[in-house]
Amino acid sequence: MSIVVGYIPTPEGEAALERAISEAANAKAPLVVVNSTRGDVFVDQRFVQSDAAQALDSRLAASGVEHILLQPMGGNDAADEVLDAAETHRADLIVIGLRKRTPVGKLIMGSTAQRILLQAECPVLAVKA
Amino acid sequence: METFDLLMQGFSTAATPINLLYAFIGVLLGTAVGVLPGIGPAMAVALLLPVTYSLEPTSAFIMFAGIYYGGMYGGSTTSILLNTPGESSTVITAIEGHKMAKSGRAAQALATAAIGSFVAGTIGTALLVACAPVVVDFAVSLGDPSYLAIIVLALIAVTAVLGGSKLRGFSALGIGLAIGLVGADPVTGQQRLIFGQPLLVDGLDIVVVAVAIFAVGEALWIAAHLRRKPMQTIPVGRPWMGKQDWKRSWKPWLRGTAYGFPFGALPAGGAEIPTFLSYVTEKKLSKHPEEFGHGAIEGVAGPEAANNASAAGTLTPLLALGLPTNATAAVMLAAFIQFGIQPGPLLFDSEPQLVWALIASLFIGNTLLLLINLPLAPVWAKLLQLPRPYLYAGILFFATLGAYAVNLQAFDLVILLLLGLLGFAMRRYGMPVLPLVIGLILGPRAEESLRTTLQLSAGDISGLWSEPVAVVVYIIVALVLLAPLALKIIRKRRPESVLLGNVPQTPDETAATDDDGGVANGYANGDNDSDHDKEHDKDTGSALPEHAGSSGGDPAEPAGRHRSDKIQNERERS
Amino acid sequence: MNKLVSRLKGRSELGLAALLGAFGVIVILDAMSLNVPYSQTDPVGPKTLPYIVGALLLVCAVLLAINVLRGGHGEAEGGEDVDLTHPTDWRTVVPLLGAFVLNIALIDTVGWVISGTLLFWGSVWALGSRRYIRDAVISVVMAVGTFYGFYLGLGIKLPAGLLEGVL
Repeated sequence: MSIVVGYIPTPEGEAALERAISEAANAKAPLVVVNSTRGDVFVDQRFVQSDAAQALDSRLAASGVEHILLQPMGGNDAADEVLDAAETHRADLIVIGLRKRTPVGKLIMGSTAQRILLQAECPVLAVKA
Repeated sequence: METFDLLMQGFSTAATPINLLYAFIGVLLGTAVGVLPGIGPAMAVALLLPVTYSLEPTSAFIMFAGIYYGGMYGGSTTSILLNTPGESSTVITAIEGHKMAKSGRAAQALATAAIGSFVAGTIGTALLVACAPVVVDFAVSLGDPSYLAIIVLALIAVTAVLGGSKLRGFSALGIGLAIGLVGADPVTGQQRLIFGQPLLVDGLDIVVVAVAIFAVGEALWIAAHLRRKPMQTIPVGRPWMGKQDWKRSWKPWLRGTAYGFPFGALPAGGAEIPTFLSYVTEKKLSKHPEEFGHGAIEGVAGPEAANNASAAGTLTPLLALGLPTNATAAVMLAAFIQFGIQPGPLLFDSEPQLVWALIASLFIGNTLLLLINLPLAPVWAKLLQLPRPYLYAGILFFATLGAYAVNLQAFDLVILLLLGLLGFAMRRYGMPVLPLVIGLILGPRAEESLRTTLQLSAGDISGLWSEPVAVVVYIIVALVLLAPLALKIIRKRRPESVLLGNVPQTPDETAATDDDGGVANGYANGDNDSDHDKEHDKDTGSALPEHAGSSGGDPAEPAGRHRSDKIQNERERS
Repeated sequence: MNKLVSRLKGRSELGLAALLGAFGVIVILDAMSLNVPYSQTDPVGPKTLPYIVGALLLVCAVLLAINVLRGGHGEAEGGEDVDLTHPTDWRTVVPLLGAFVLNIALIDTVGWVISGTLLFWGSVWALGSRRYIRDAVISVVMAVGTFYGFYLGLGIKLPAGLLEGVL
């Protein structure tokens, strides 16, 4: 029983988090926030560093939902990490943010959101910024 | 005035469009490798050696000099924005620089570092112009016995003074000298250490060895310990300084330069000690001592200037005597050998055009660096988005390509791999690589001088100290070897009075004497807020009992303590 | 016996001391095998420096072994991108070496373009990238680019191997 949200510090990520908090509050379910990095670049702006992680934590605490922040650095794709978390925490719902992509951009980069949508075992809620 | 004319001729050579282009490429590459963690100027020059085979030597060296100076600028950018000082010379910059960046003054920190580097680099190069001919005049008057003594001093100084463990330094030196023996003996043609392998008769190609040790060994070592956690970077705008910042920066720049140049010129002087001295001096002289540890601009301006001035200082013995005192200079010396240019006191006579064009290009490169670093710092920070696998795979790829292109034989790649593994093992067990490379380069020259010396004295060993200069140098060698020992004995008798003099002590003395990081972090008032510090403390904790168990006549003493001794020495001398 | 094993545990640095000693012995044996008559013009001869170097290596080997057995150890080298908190990651290093050795074995027969592509692709894979197609494209571009770069820019003809005539 839990809700898993993939979080990155961007408008899409924020939108997903906002929605996930309200879903968790409604369902009175614990919230699992996944913020992962593949750990293959020197600087990853999508990774929440210690200061920001604390801010995030207190924000979650203020919302009153039970929560954990996962920051895996195992070298896996964000999609794998979200799906993994969903499985271990037996998620009822995964919340993700979507951003706009050109068809060509999608072809080259692959799509984290698409993989989660296709491979998740539970309902997925895709939020737009 | 003769020097001035030669310098002007140098400018006319260096300012041709093609050489300007190479200077530009050099400073761009240099800044890039300085910014990128995991690759430094020594590795960059080593990787470029094979590519420059077909270039005009002058152009190649102009590019190398650009890389050398550029690496300093780039290194300060990362130590300010990321607090990951890769080289010991930028450790001190990171202390105040990163604090400034955290409190929103990254732009000023970068500006004072860049402008200070420019000022120090320019003054340092001018000092090089003034000093080098004097040193050369002195050096050409020396005979082989003195020259041999100076080479021995360079070997011993680099081995005994730098790095933590003398024992491991000498081990590396021995390996380097042994590698230098491989091949046919130049005098008798006897084949040494070739194991029946005809491909070894010409000796190991110095390019292959340099690439193996600096590029392959380093890339493998980093691959074995890849940092997975992304580093925290501080976003930065365009660097600029206010009036107040200028006022507080210019004196530290000049004082830093005064510290940096002479230390750089000494064998084994390096950049560590002058940056450290500059930091301590600025802290003492500052009108805002309370800001130190929280981002004082003087603490960035002084050490950065000292760092760059020492780079210019390093070039003095390199060009005037053919003696390298750090890794980049060693690789540049390898480049001289590759081009068939005999380094040493005669270089100024035999290759005046090259030498003066190189020196002139240093002035040009410094100016270019200021121009591309001030407005473009945010762009350089973007380089950090490069995925690690590509960077390290690229290093291995170009190392292989370069080593193969030298002779187009796969045998060289086997050598590259074996020596790369040796480089890996040396990093694993704390054996410094610099003595190896310097031993490899200077070993054959030492042997040549030794043989000429004893030939002149008809085999009488007293020929070794037949010149007064040689005697003086051997006494210095003895002092370098014995001084730490003597200090140790004195310290045992009077444990308190010798410790660090009036240098401020940290609350946790053990942390301060473990290694460079420890000393530096100690001066940040023990304020451990970065990952670097935390890891470091963990290391200290586990390493401590080992050290304690091995003290007493143990040559492997912690680097920090050793360094304090040295600083203490310098203070007593001055 | 058990005591010996426990003493040797965690002392892999002794291997390095052994290697140094082996180097020293080899250098000295090799110098002894040289056969040169004494000459007035070269009183030092080609043997002296090898003897000095060999002796230095042997002394260092012995001292290093003593130092390690007494609990000394070399500080592993840190760096900007080195994280010493986790142990040596052989799962990265071994495939990396594999790619390197593969290149040595193949370069003379299949040529640089193919072996270089494999080298880069294999290294990137070993270092953890899993974007196979993008990596492959970059690898081919690197190998072909350096092939022509060296040929046209530097006049060095890298082996074309199997692609002889195509390139």
